[in-house]
Amino acid sequence: MMLKLGVASVRRRPGAFAGTFLTAFLAVALISGSGLLLHSVLTAGPGGDRFAAVDLVVAADRSVELTTTRDKGDEVKVKTKTERLTGAGALPAELVGVVAATPGVGTAVADVAFPVALDVDGTPVRAPERASVVAHGWSSASLTPYVLRDGVAPAAGEVAVGAELGLAVGQAVRLTTKTGAREVRVAGVVTGGVPGQAAVFVADRQVTDLSGLTGPTAIAVGLAPGADRRQVVAALDELATLDSARVHTGADKVNGDLPGAVPDYVGAISIFGFVLGITGFAAVFVLTGTVSLAVRQRLRELALLRTAGATPRQLRRLLGTEITLVTVVATVPALPFGVVVAHVVAGRFRELGAVPAQFAVAVDPVVLIAAAVLGLLVTRSATSVAARRAVRISPTQALRETVTAARGSRVPRVVGAAVPAAGAVAVLGLVPLGGPLGMGMGFVSCALLLCAAAALGPILVGGVTAVVSRLVGSTGVLGRVAGAMTRAESRRVVGVAIPLTLMFAINATMLVNGDITAEVTAGQQAARTAPATVQVAATNAPGLPLAIAERVVALPAVTGSALTVGTKVVVDQEGKPEDYPAQGLRLAGERALDLGVTAGDLARLAADSVAVSGPLAAQRGWEVGDRPTFWLADGTRVTLTVVAVFSHWRGFGDLVLDAGLVAAHDPRGLVGAIHLRGAPDLAGFPLAPAEAGAAEVRNQQAAWELMVAVSLGFTAIAVVNTFAIATGARRREFAGLRLAGATSRQLHRLLDREALITVVVALVLGCAISGVVVGAFSVAQDGRWRLFADPLRYLGMVAGVGLLGLVAGAVPARVVVRLRSLPQLG
Amino acid sequence: MVLVRGSRVAAADVVSLTDVTKVYSGRVRALDGVTVGFARGSFTAVMGPSGSGKSTLLHCAAGLDLPTGGRVVLAGQDVGALREPKLTAVRRRHVGFVFQSFNLVDALSVWDNVLLPQRFAGTRPDKAWAREVLARVGLGGRERSRPGELSGGQQQRVALARALAGRPEVIFGDEPTGALDLSTGREVLALLRGFVDTSAATVVMVTHDPAAAAWADRVVFLADGRLAGDLVAPTAERVAARMTELTR
Repeated sequence: MMLKLGVASVRRRPGAFAGTFLTAFLAVALISGSGLLLHSVLTAGPGGDRFAAVDLVVAADRSVELTTTRDKGDEVKVKTKTERLTGAGALPAELVGVVAATPGVGTAVADVAFPVALDVDGTPVRAPERASVVAHGWSSASLTPYVLRDGVAPAAGEVAVGAELGLAVGQAVRLTTKTGAREVRVAGVVTGGVPGQAAVFVADRQVTDLSGLTGPTAIAVGLAPGADRRQVVAALDELATLDSARVHTGADKVNGDLPGAVPDYVGAISIFGFVLGITGFAAVFVLTGTVSLAVRQRLRELALLRTAGATPRQLRRLLGTEITLVTVVATVPALPFGVVVAHVVAGRFRELGAVPAQFAVAVDPVVLIAAAVLGLLVTRSATSVAARRAVRISPTQALRETVTAARGSRVPRVVGAAVPAAGAVAVLGLVPLGGPLGMGMGFVSCALLLCAAAALGPILVGGVTAVVSRLVGSTGVLGRVAGAMTRAESRRVVGVAIPLTLMFAINATMLVNGDITAEVTAGQQAARTAPATVQVAATNAPGLPLAIAERVVALPAVTGSALTVGTKVVVDQEGKPEDYPAQGLRLAGERALDLGVTAGDLARLAADSVAVSGPLAAQRGWEVGDRPTFWLADGTRVTLTVVAVFSHWRGFGDLVLDAGLVAAHDPRGLVGAIHLRGAPDLAGFPLAPAEAGAAEVRNQQAAWELMVAVSLGFTAIAVVNTFAIATGARRREFAGLRLAGATSRQLHRLLDREALITVVVALVLGCAISGVVVGAFSVAQDGRWRLFADPLRYLGMVAGVGLLGLVAGAVPARVVVRLRSLPQLG
Repeated sequence: MVLVRGSRVAAADVVSLTDVTKVYSGRVRALDGVTVGFARGSFTAVMGPSGSGKSTLLHCAAGLDLPTGGRVVLAGQDVGALREPKLTAVRRRHVGFVFQSFNLVDALSVWDNVLLPQRFAGTRPDKAWAREVLARVGLGGRERSRPGELSGGQQQRVALARALAGRPEVIFGDEPTGALDLSTGREVLALLRGFVDTSAATVVMVTHDPAAAAWADRVVFLADGRLAGDLVAPTAERVAARMTELTR
């Protein structure tokens, strides 16, 4: 019966469900879109496998694995966590022969993979789609295989290059590796290979020289005809473990390749996870509000059904049936729209470089079904929350002029608000917001505070409304009426204000936190580089080989220098290996780089020592003289003495090691920036003034802003939608006011004032919530309290959201009450 | 007091309709050439079977709806020549309304509701008169209450006080007792009668209840959108008899 009634109700008055439909549509579209994106990055393969044509690959471990054992009394818990390395360790050179001699092995090819940079007369030669350029010995060409299209195999002083690099046989190019820069001649052009990496082949006997590696990074194994694969794997495994290497088989073979050459989705996973989190939260939040409003405007009808003998349980079923129907219908266009959203966002992120260029959205029906189910669950639970009170309406309410839902006790509201509020306080107070979790935790605490505000809604909004409405009330009779209306209908104000609060709080928090990070980073960058008179970076390649950089700092006009080699270092975080950005540093003469040393002395930095950023030192409890253990980019385990703690770490790194140590163990190992004192003549070096790390920060900021744009769009539509629902439900009230002598224009002005009150209430709450989160975040960054980073931008945001609210209020008012219309009776 | 036959219009009429036609959505003829006047200081009931056009007549007479054809003069203004918001201004100045649904603003107190039309008009409210009106409808001292806290009869009396507070030339009632029980309905009618007798107010009231119509000076009957005669100094029995004839 309730099913029939529900279906009939939706079919006969689709208009009444338009608002819910739109919200459900958007929610499902966004959940499915971001779900697809997250699923796509999680399942994204590492791209093409250069080792696809061989059977097995022996390679050093490409990750740091830590196993912790915790004795919990009754049981012993063993946890293993891993972190991927950014480099590849070399295998002993003699291992190739041992592998080749293993029974069942047909061929064993030593593969040395190392990143290189090419330039023609100082202009970098780039591969399309930001693919990495990786060099190998010519013997590796047979693995994939690569085939010569033009020219011949490279001899010493020559290279064969992938066709995608656009070079011609006979051309002279400069090849830069960490061991130096050399003029070479293109001897051949090869085709084949795998997407995402451009290949450069050098003569096998030059490999050690160019790569600086002591042995191969991988050994590709082809089985002898008739050999038993399992036996060979077992035999090689035994061999390999002696040299802390592993045998990679099947799809895992690609992990034997150089990590930098394989697309890395770690950054994308966190970004899309974040997108899913934000959209999911906003969807639940907005849907609950919309459904509540929609249920509230049907109280009279519900009361009528009660008089006709419906029990509260039946009403709940009726509302549930209706919402299911509306959601299912909304899901049909929402899923394709979600696919489109995913493609558009992925495209933008590819352009920004936030995801690898070869990233593609995989449309997985399971994800779409999951999004649809999730959407339905959300709308149904939102309905049951909204209906909780409404269905208990007494039948006599139908006979009354004013219909109001039962007012419940305040206790559940206060409890419902206290729990998330306490959670937010805990997050803000206990999590170190200055660290990598800062942004995410800022969002979580913002979401928790919003939940608290929504739960406390009528009480909180009522309080703010009481003040604001009286201010507006002093603007004349319409203001007074508007004030009285908002005070009497504080729940309606809540319903409309909360989405606006959500819109402001979430987006302001994300944007301002991003701004603050950028500002603090720029500040530290400026402080760090202040002592230098000249700062330069390579223009022909990602960096300068250490040997050449040393020639620069040895110029007679240089009175002091600091050169940095970027890398990543893995730190043992209580059993969880985590990688941190780090720099190799070499200092000479006068101080050219100010790291803001707070303890110890940077001058004592040597191959066996390390300087640590303040936050990392505080978190790990390290002090000068301690000897923690690290893993370098190629997996080499080192124990270094802490000689200094420094404070200007943003945009630089958390660890500072000896430049030589880093250059030896990072596959790239190039000097990223040279800071100099004095006025040297740098002509003859491929150098130009530079600011290190700026491009990466800009890209991250752009990706961040794109996410804000998506969430702004969604919340803006939600705000407009909510206003439309709330206004549409008041026709009866407007007719009454018209009969009391209000003109259409007066009604418009009245409703504008109501919208003004609602908007101000929402902004007050939004500013308060974002202020708490941003304030805590800002203090965690550099000890300064801020409400915003850029006052104009913040004011612009307040004005923008406020204006949106006012327009969203004004437009439906003018649609429902036409200027020249007669009172709409009945 | 001049009581005029329905087919003619007299100069003393506060509201007069001449040959008024109202067609809805191009087909439904709700009013079909109605000519009727309502004299100052009179209490007129408009009656007729369901669908006879009595509510349409009231809406057209009060300027809530514009006739398709014919002429409506309300307090000396040709309503047909007016457009919103001018129409609202004329209504606000000259007309008070009492409807079956009381149309009070729940958010406002009784006092604010009563003064609302004058506030919208931007005129200085006559607070002494408003207080007197409230006292006369028996709600003295309830100024601070909210409509939701009052009974149906009390709410209708607030609506009546609001209609009277602006000293309108005519009060229109559309089934003002429709939502009330017998005795509260009777109280509201007695108040209307009292205002006509003591304050020279003019009342035009649509009703389907012969007993309610009996409080009026005159009953105008409608059938199928046309005038179907009238009855001066009605009694409930005579009204009921006429209604039985009309519905037959």
